[in-house]
Amino acid sequence: MEFRETFLSALRTLGSHKMRSALTMLGIIIGAGSLVAVMSLIAGLNQSVTAQFQSVGTDIISVSHFPWVQMGDSDEYRNRKSITIHDSDAIASLPSIGLVAPNIHTRRGLSYGGESMRRVRVSGTTPEYETIDNYSVESGRFITQFDVERRRQVVVIGSDVSEKLFGLRDPIAKEMRIGGKIFLVIGILEEKGDIFGESLDEHVIIPFTAFKKAFGSRRSVVVDCQPADGVTMTRAIDDIRALMRIRRQVPRDKPDDFAINTQEDLTASYKQLTGVLYFAMTGIVALALLVGGIGVMNVMLVSVAERTREIGVRKAIGARRRDVTFQFLIESVILTVLGGALGIGGGAGIGVLVRVATPLPAATTPGSVGLAVAFSLITGIVFGVYPALRAGRLNPIQALSYE
Amino acid sequence: MLIQLEGVTKIYEVGTEKVNALGGVSLSIEKNEYLAIMGPSGSGKSTLMNVIGCLDTPTSGSYRLKDQEVGDLDDDELAEIRSAEIGFVFQTFNLLPRMTAFQNVELPLIYSKAHRRTRAERVWSVMDAVGLRERALHRPNELSGGQRQRVAIARALINNPSIILADEPTGNLDSGTGEEIMQVFEGLHRAGNTIILVTHEEYIAEHANRIIRLHDGLISSDERAARGASPTRPVGSAERT
Ligand SMILES: Nc1ncnc2c1ncn2[C@@H]1O[C@H](COP(=O)(O)OP(=O)(O)OP(=O)(O)O)[C@@H](O)[C@H]1O
Ligand SMILES: [Mg+2]
Repeated sequence: MEFRETFLSALRTLGSHKMRSALTMLGIIIGAGSLVAVMSLIAGLNQSVTAQFQSVGTDIISVSHFPWVQMGDSDEYRNRKSITIHDSDAIASLPSIGLVAPNIHTRRGLSYGGESMRRVRVSGTTPEYETIDNYSVESGRFITQFDVERRRQVVVIGSDVSEKLFGLRDPIAKEMRIGGKIFLVIGILEEKGDIFGESLDEHVIIPFTAFKKAFGSRRSVVVDCQPADGVTMTRAIDDIRALMRIRRQVPRDKPDDFAINTQEDLTASYKQLTGVLYFAMTGIVALALLVGGIGVMNVMLVSVAERTREIGVRKAIGARRRDVTFQFLIESVILTVLGGALGIGGGAGIGVLVRVATPLPAATTPGSVGLAVAFSLITGIVFGVYPALRAGRLNPIQALSYE
Repeated sequence: MLIQLEGVTKIYEVGTEKVNALGGVSLSIEKNEYLAIMGPSGSGKSTLMNVIGCLDTPTSGSYRLKDQEVGDLDDDELAEIRSAEIGFVFQTFNLLPRMTAFQNVELPLIYSKAHRRTRAERVWSVMDAVGLRERALHRPNELSGGQRQRVAIARALINNPSIILADEPTGNLDSGTGEEIMQVFEGLHRAGNTIILVTHEEYIAEHANRIIRLHDGLISSDERAARGASPTRPVGSAERT
């Protein structure tokens, strides 16, 4: 029997049971849809995380109160002692450590002339920050040791701040307000892009000392540093850990009450996150396809029983086993592939929605579409083959006399 | 010889019980015969039809169709014989409800792998033969019983079979319509077709020019009708009971 005829006949049959066909496809729709949706979210995540990694720098060690990626008990984190500028100095004096930049952060309103911005990230730090944390100045200059020593009220501004507050005017040498205090703009940073929807360019950097004077000195300090030339990251991290444990008097049997963050940690926790996502997705997809597949098998068995007489007639007029088997197999495959296609549409739709409505640049990947198609095809075959074989094996006389 | 049965038995096993549906039937049928099979209910008429139609194989004995032994063929080989040599007409029409008359008639051509372009032509010609050209695009539920049976006959004819088998083809029709259907068979017979038909009604059987009576799975009489407008036919062909 020709494929074309079988295909059309299958469509006709499925079309005459629209509701039943739709319900049968549901599991497959969910399976294929979640596969495509989750893969597009992961693709989006990959993209934004790659951007984040690029902005962090590969050899930075960041010693802080809280880890970059927090897990578990936040009360324990909250009760931690602050890290101070003295800790920073002590780290700087380690032979295995090269550059060190203590930094502290807050959010304040900015204004210049009639323009203002709310809750912009303000960082107080030292000149080393430029190198360690991968900043580049587009025009003007970064803060200097002199600015820090003299506690000068100067500021280097991010490109978004420049655009929003100053527009087409040149911000350099203009006086702006940060949290009400007057600062002189000395430089503009090169554009850095977004991380998880937050612009890295909505940011101003002022001298560490000026920060403390303007916004208080009780904040926990973050110590960003690099290993000295020729020293490995591991060695530098070990030295910092030993030093900090002594300085903070952590008992031998207790874990660190501070965090040493590296890009590698980020990578690791990111991998853990996507691992969990992939795992969850595999579970959902497998379950949905299993449920969907069983549904397909059930409906196909019902269909074979309902159409026993039809099968008898077809055999009487010359259909061979394989003609009948193929006909039913095509029906189940159409069901699952159509379900898969609808799921792919839905999953891609979710991806678009996420991209539009959230900062995550979710994007449907061709790979996930291919996988979804393959899975739904395979489900149709695997769960359709038994009912189809049963249909093919029916004895024509018994089938014809079936009531 | 078109059909040659020798000592054909068919035994059904129901649980531990054995039902002798056919108890050793020997029968020869030549091309262009018009044969009626009669007999009381349960005498084995349908069973015999199923064997002749290659829907079933004998438990023992030999059945040769066009000098080919059918008994040792497998499912698919039997299907191919049905496709090429047999046209079935059923009491309950057995048309596929979701298809139009045209599509129903076309279906055997699809199974026999006829080329798509020649199919339509062939379908229209048999639709004409049963006088249903105008109804070709209707579905079975839009047709009367007589029209449905004409569609079924058209379907049986489509592959130019050697034998047309009809198991009580007028059983579900009123006598007027039944008579019309018998006229169709008559025409087919005149056109050279071999027809075997099962019936309970003497007046239906009278259309045939040979009547076989079955009793408990055995042939109890085999008579040639001299009456009617039957064409002359060769006599003296081998027949055993
Ligand atoms: N599948 C089967 N299993 C068991 N016994 C069967 C089966 N088919 C037929 N029989 C038995 O075989 C015998 C002959 O049946 P068959 O259908 O050939 O009779 P029939 O002459 O066609 O009767 P009717 O005029 O009622 O159609 C009956 O006794 C019937 O019960
Ligand atoms: Mg019968």
